[in-house]
Amino acid sequence: MLGKIKIKIVIVALIAILITLMSQATLAYYSFVGKSTNVVTSGNIQFLIHETTDQGKEFPEEGVYIVPGNVVSKKVSIESDCGHPFYLRVKMLYGVESQELSSEDCFKLNINEEYWKLHDGWYYYTGIVNPGETTPDVFSHVEIVGSKVDNSYLGKTLTLTVKAQAVQSENNPITDGNTYNASGWPAE
Amino acid sequence: MKKIITLLIVFAISLSPILPVYAEDGKVTYDGNSQQFIFEPGSKHSLTDLFSNFKNVMPGDTLTQKITVKNNADNKIKVKIYIRSLGAHGDSVEFLSQLCLRVQKSKDNEMAYMFDAAANETSQLTDWVYLGTLYSGGEVNLDVTLDVPVELPNEYQNKIGYLDWEFKVEEFPVEDGDPIAPQTGNNLYIVLWSALIICSLAMLIIYLVWRKKDKENKDNAVRC
Repeated sequence: MLGKIKIKIVIVALIAILITLMSQATLAYYSFVGKSTNVVTSGNIQFLIHETTDQGKEFPEEGVYIVPGNVVSKKVSIESDCGHPFYLRVKMLYGVESQELSSEDCFKLNINEEYWKLHDGWYYYTGIVNPGETTPDVFSHVEIVGSKVDNSYLGKTLTLTVKAQAVQSENNPITDGNTYNASGWPAE
Repeated sequence: MKKIITLLIVFAISLSPILPVYAEDGKVTYDGNSQQFIFEPGSKHSLTDLFSNFKNVMPGDTLTQKITVKNNADNKIKVKIYIRSLGAHGDSVEFLSQLCLRVQKSKDNEMAYMFDAAANETSQLTDWVYLGTLYSGGEVNLDVTLDVPVELPNEYQNKIGYLDWEFKVEEFPVEDGDPIAPQTGNNLYIVLWSALIICSLAMLIIYLVWRKKDKENKDNAVRC
């Protein structure tokens, strides 16, 4: 008699457990919170200035020895190093022994005027430099002007520095085709 | 035949560069089984990043990110979903304060933006904002728009801004008269556990009955 009662109790208990488990999905209501960390990143404009010789080698960092009248092979181009297109301008700075010279003093460059237009002392690239592209050469040779480089330059170091600046072309249209009219050119 | 296949492959490859590439939509899925949120697609900066379209932004950009919030709980449950913003991380405030962020529910143009402020702020999303009641498989879409001012200074190149959002669900039973939700989700575990419990119960009853009979037989044998 006692055994039968025990069995009944066990069965009822198990059925209760079963019903509880089965109905849990509909009886238990919760509130849950999840957090997302969202990220905004800004892009940039980057480029590399390449200076090579006619043979395609890097132009020597230490420079070259020259005599008046020499024509030195020096090809200058700019390569995009970012994921955004940009307008570009370059300027050549001349110097002797850390003193600035005007462009006519000692050097004569064969500027590639098909692609580079002079405006207010800067040569503006006429197109847009797209990601992965390299511009045509700004110039390829530098002539040391014999009539200007006299004996006073003997043993001195003449320098030619190429300075370049870029501004994004996305969201920055130009109406007249002149890239120097683009917005955002940095102050000199 | 080989030539045709080769031609098809060449054609497909030649087309691939001109096919447009779409950034992924953000997805917030409430998984009823694990009772947690799953955020996609994530990024190298954050596993729960929903802003896949807002990378490498440039001055003057206006970008839109679609975010789908979905209820993946089983059919017996409906959920109320809420959103709030915790704002920018401390080191991101300066950068994100330069940008403007707008959030609105898609296909609901009459509704004013639920958020329209500088991206670092919590503004109208400081407190929980109710997005809707979703049945199993239901979803609500958010359009998030980011405006980058064209005059953004150069010093903000290569910056990273972190912005935290929270989503909350409240589960409720589906009641009579509620719309019938489509069969979605995975109910396999419930069926499996139920079957296992019923089998265990049946085996236990059989065992107990067998033990009782065995005991009775032994008692009878002793009396004889």
